Parts: sequence; structure tokens; C-alpha cells
Amino acid sequence: MNAARRVGASLYWITPPILCLTLYWYGIKTWFHADDFAWLNHASEVYTFRDFLHSMFAPEAQGTIRPWSERGFFMLFYSLFGLNALPFRICAFLTQFANLALIMAITRRISGSRAAGFLAALLWMANTSLAEVMAWSSAYNQALCAFFLLSAFYFLLRWMETGRRRDWVLQWVMFLLGFGALELNVVYPALAAGFTFLCARKHFLRTLPLFIPSVLFVVLHRMVAPPASGVYAMHFDLSMLTTLQVYWGWMLGASWLATIIPLSRWLVAAYNLTLTVAILGVVVWNARRRNWLLLFLLLWFAALIAPMLPLRDHLTEYYHFLPSIGVAMLGACALVAAWRGAVWSKALAAALAAMYLTVSLPAARMSTRWYYDRAREVRKVVLGVARAHELHPNKVILLEGVDDQTFWKGFVDHSFRLVGAQNVYLTPGAQKLIKPHPELGDPAEFVLPEGAAWWALEHDAAVVYNVREPRLRNITSLYRASMPEAWRSMYPARVDVANPAMVYLLGPGWYNIDINHRWMPRRATVTLAAPQTAGASLHLSGSTASGDAPARITVTADGVTLPGRSLAPGEGFHIALPLPPAPESKVSMEVTIEVDRVLTLPGDARQFGLAFGVIEVK
Amino acid sequence: MRRTLLAAALAALLCLAPAGCRSRRKVKVQQTEEEAPSLASMVHVADPKVSAQLVNGFYGVEQNAWRWTAGKFSVLLRPPRGAAQKGATLQLKFAVPDPIIAKLKAISLAASIGGKPLSPETYTQPGEFTYSRDVAADLLTGEAVKVDFALDKTLPPANGDQRELGVVVSVVGFEAR
Repeated sequence: MNAARRVGASLYWITPPILCLTLYWYGIKTWFHADDFAWLNHASEVYTFRDFLHSMFAPEAQGTIRPWSERGFFMLFYSLFGLNALPFRICAFLTQFANLALIMAITRRISGSRAAGFLAALLWMANTSLAEVMAWSSAYNQALCAFFLLSAFYFLLRWMETGRRRDWVLQWVMFLLGFGALELNVVYPALAAGFTFLCARKHFLRTLPLFIPSVLFVVLHRMVAPPASGVYAMHFDLSMLTTLQVYWGWMLGASWLATIIPLSRWLVAAYNLTLTVAILGVVVWNARRRNWLLLFLLLWFAALIAPMLPLRDHLTEYYHFLPSIGVAMLGACALVAAWRGAVWSKALAAALAAMYLTVSLPAARMSTRWYYDRAREVRKVVLGVARAHELHPNKVILLEGVDDQTFWKGFVDHSFRLVGAQNVYLTPGAQKLIKPHPELGDPAEFVLPEGAAWWALEHDAAVVYNVREPRLRNITSLYRASMPEAWRSMYPARVDVANPAMVYLLGPGWYNIDINHRWMPRRATVTLAAPQTAGASLHLSGSTASGDAPARITVTADGVTLPGRSLAPGEGFHIALPLPPAPESKVSMEVTIEVDRVLTLPGDARQFGLAFGVIEVK
Repeated sequence: MRRTLLAAALAALLCLAPAGCRSRRKVKVQQTEEEAPSLASMVHVADPKVSAQLVNGFYGVEQNAWRWTAGKFSVLLRPPRGAAQKGATLQLKFAVPDPIIAKLKAISLAASIGGKPLSPETYTQPGEFTYSRDVAADLLTGEAVKVDFALDKTLPPANGDQRELGVVVSVVGFEAR
């Protein structure tokens, strides 16, 4: 190979990653946000080998396992780099660079065109589905799953070419490893079987054993996954078509761009219709000529989007990332074929490609910038709180001016635990600025009630920071001076006994705070707001001491005994006890909690009855 | 192709890895804008940030929680909001250790603000106590108030400890009324 050809070959492979890095540059600088904190907390709680195994392989919410792409990824990088997000992002980018190389290699092989390989990488790279994957570490599962799917498919193609056993084995290895990245890996046998059936029929039967691990995985997954509920409830009805329309529109680009900048509905519809007709038209055209490759690539999209369609209430911005691989390869093959045709077909192909890139590139770029900006705000708050905690280690930290996005992306997954600050709350009334998302959490749990804020600030047990400025500003004196006098006599309806700002509500007997709970002996009291509505209940969340027999809990509210309950030993509990109606004028009530069984430990004079938790009237 | 891929991957690693390895520190905090220091109304005597308010008579922090006092000790406090109109309650949370009672039988604690005495209290048992006295509004004007405490008896220096020991204080301050 002469020098010019070598340079050409290098440029061929290096250009897509460079363009990817340029387009998603903000993604590499994006800090942690949202679920990242849950995974980082998860990673920070591993102390023993048993913890490690549990953290790596125990099914999480919705029965997900994903040891490579979530648990292992966060554990490894957090242990090496702590809260430095850059290495996490670099890993995601390197994985995506590998994916781009794989899509090029695959498209080249299946189309026989180097140009198609290059175009496939460009079309996929420009797709809006990449924005979140390139800017959010928790979406790394998508990039890694793509890597395993594409690798397995690449080795299948090589095996079909060479017949070498090594390629066949490598296909199996990549396929099996893919189960540790994302559940969607189960569709790989359908891709392999679909391709061989349509384009290389003589290999079809060899692909059928690939279904065995997928079937086993589905059975196992259904055994460990909790019943789907809430936003994860599956809806097998006509709404699947609407969901398909949404993902298809997002993938084409204009519907996505319309969520960022104002675009005429007609313009979006015309754009979607044009590209859809072009894609379906070229598939049908080729199918009529018994060229099934493009149909297979459309089926790639269908196979990977199908499992997402029943999730009507959980539309996610990156769910079309893996399906869009098929459409990118399809587009690239079609463009190259059109380029070989008449002038009108060249012009049409160029116009369609330009249309797609004109819409998708800015959409992807703007989305990435949006994630970057949100994460930068979260970073400011979390690392500012870290400093505030250094300066005021024993005080509750109250944050004033937290907006909706920063709350949902930075608060609900307990980001502040990662910097050692356990007691960080929003100032009273801040929940009014937060848009409710019941599926994500209750903002009220993160707000310090008025009475507690008054007590904590008057007793120098809290500091207040304003987060609206480029750096967190301590406004404790100003805030203290502006607190309404009425707060002083207000009692919270929800008492977290491990919140140091609520210690004044606890009667004698409670032991010291133990991270996020407090033990009580046989008897303890707490004062909280009297019920304001008829039919209110007292909710108690905590855990019992270990032992052989159940413990009996007896609760009285202002002297009125509530129905007793039996609690299993050594377990968490949540009980709700109906409260008698209280006079309107009554603002507070004293709740007495008694338990008939306590645990004592050798060398410790304390008696451990129950650990709380939260006590709440609602 | 394989060599090109490998070269590309290595180039990317070389470009990006140093950036990733820039900081191994787990938390790189972001500076905050702090208020000018102000006096606290309630002083946890072990808190190093309020040590300037312990004017005299306090020894070093022990167990990260308390300090021994001498026979006379003073603290500078900020009157709580509204105290100039409604007054406030002075609170001293302290412990009388066994050896004090064993040797002295009883001790009396008195306090004064601006020379005006608050009623004393006598302790004849070891244990934890709160000395609590209402303070009139006219004594709580201004930004800072000095409170003087005095014990009638103390343990004299002994066993190599050169300190005169009074009581063990954890918290002192004003509670709003």
C-alpha cells in the first residue's frame, strides 16, 4: 500500500470518530446527573467481596442486572476516579468510536461498498438518539450493548466469509457478554437469523441455537423482575403504534428538534412523511427485485424498537439508539445505490441526506449542550454543598433557589451523600418550584418544614445557601432575619427522626443519629403536627431489632391508644394507624411509641427497641 | 484495517487518558461565597469556629464534645432575634462529674450579664444539668452580650494537672422567647 492509500485508509477510519468527538464535545465535558448518583452511591457502598457480588449481580429495579454497563462500570471508575466524570465520559466515547468502526466494517461487508460503510457511520453519528448516550454515563448501557451486538454480528459476517471456527466462537462470546450490558441483547438471535434467512439462507439453521440463551435469559428475567407497574407497566394495545410513531419521528430528527426549538407541525409532518416514504419506498423497491438486505435493515429497527413499544408511559430519549443502527445502515446502502444511478436519483439522494443532516446535526448538538448545561448546574450545587459541608460539618444545609431540573437531576438520587453531606434540604416552600413527577419521588421529602427550619436557624444548627448564583452563597443571616414569625409555632407533619434539625421534636429516650436512622429503647415520644383532615393516619417507617419473636408496637396519640401491631423481628416496616379527629385549634400532638421487646448487646448498656425512620401524619 | 483501528484506538487513548487521570481526588469541592463571620447565639463549645466567643475560663476541647471550665468563665453571645423586645432565656448545658461532688460535696453556679446577677443554683449530685435563667430584654440590646459565670468552688490543681477544674460545659447560649 502506498503512502497516499495509507493516508486515505487512515482518514476513512479516523474521520467518523473525530466528527463524533466534535459534534458531541459537550458530552465529554458533561458531569454526572440523575441516575448517575444512584449508581455512584451503589458503587460507594461496596465494602466486602460479598457486597461486590451482590452489587454486581443482584437484580435491581425492573429486574435489570447489567453488570458491565452499569454496576461494574460505575464501581470501577468510581473507585479509580471518584467524582471526576471525565474518565466515565472518555470510556463512553471510546466505546462509541469502536461502534462507529464496527458499523463501518459491517456495512462495508454487507453492501460491498466502502462509501456505504462511511456513510452509515455518519448517518448514525448524526442521529438524535446519540445525544443522551454521549452525555449521560447512566446511558452507557446503550453504547456497550451496541458494541456487543455489532461485534457479534461482525463476527457472524466474518464466519460466513471465512468459515473459521474462531469467528463463530467470537460471535457467541460477544453475544453472551452482551447480556451483561443490556436486556435488549436478547434480540441478537433474531438479527442473526433474520439476516441469514433473507440474505444468506444456507447459514440460517446454524443461527437457530443462538435463541437458546435468549429464551433462558427471558425466563430468568421474568422470574427475578417484579411485576411491571407505574410507568413501566406494559400496554399491549393500539398505543404501541403511537409509541412507534414517536420513536420513528425522534429518529428522523424533526420531531426531536421541535422539542428544542419552535417548528411548524406541518413542516415536521412533511419532513417525516418525506423521509418515511423514501425509506419504505427504497425497501419495497429492492424487495421487489429480491434484494432483501434493506428489508433486513428495516427489521433491525423493528426488532430493537419492539420491546420498547409497550412502555407507553416511559418514553425515553435514547430508546431509539440501537434501532437507529439499522436505519443508518439502510440509509447508507440506499444512498450509495442511488449515487450509482441516474442524475435525478443522485440529486434526490443528496437532497434527502442533506435534509436529514440539516435537521439532525443541530438537534443532536443542541441536545448535548442542554445535558451539559443541566449537569453543570448540578455539579455546581453538589460540589458547592461539599464545600459548605467542609465549612459547617455539623450543620444542616438548606438550599434556596433550586429549580425544577436541578432538583430532579441532582437531588432525588441522593447526590450529596457522595460528598459526605447527609443533611441537605430545600428551604421551606421550595417544593412549589418543583414540577411533580410521582414516579421519580416526592419533593416534600427533601424540604425542611417551616418549624424545623426556624428551630435549626435560631439554634445555629443550620446554614442556608443560595444556589442561583455562579457559586453557592451563604445567606444564613439574611434568611434568618426574613423568616416569618409564624414559623416558630408550626409543627411538621413529617418527622425524620434522623434529621438533626428535628431533634427538638423528640422526647427523651432516643439514641444518637446512626447515619440515616435513630434507635429508641422500649419507649420514646415525638411531637408533630396534629391531623388537619378527617381520616388522617399516622405512618411509621422503621425497622425492628433482630430476635426470635415478633415485637408488639403500641402507639398513643395525645393519650389515645391507636390499634397495636405485631412486627416481624429484624425487618423493615411501614405501618399506617388511623388517627382520631383532632380539634381544629390543635396544632400539635405528642405521639408515644412503645415496643414490648428490646435487644441488648454485650458491653452496651442500651436497649434497642425500634429504629426510625420517618413518622408522618397524612 | 486492523492496524489502522489499533492505531486509532491508541491515539484516542493517548489523547484522552491524561485528561481522565488528571485528578484522583475523590471530591474536588467548589468554593462558596461565605458571609462575614458573625457571633452565634448558641455556642457548642467544641465547635472551633466559635472558639473566639469563649472569652475566658474554658480549657481545650475534649472528646470533640466538651470543655472543662475554671472557676470563672465568660462567653460572648449574640442576642437572638426579638430578644431586645421580649428578652431571652440563658441556657448552660453542663455536667458535674463525680469527683467534683465527691470532693466538694456541692457547688453553686451563678451568672451575670453586664454586671446584673442572675440567680445562682446549687448542685449536690453528679450528672448532666441545664442552668436556665430568663434574661430581661433591656440586658439584650446590641450585637453582642458578654455573659460571666462563676462557681463558688473548684477542684484545685492536682496529680500533675495544673488546671483549676470547675464543670464540664457542652453548650451555652440564648434561647429565643
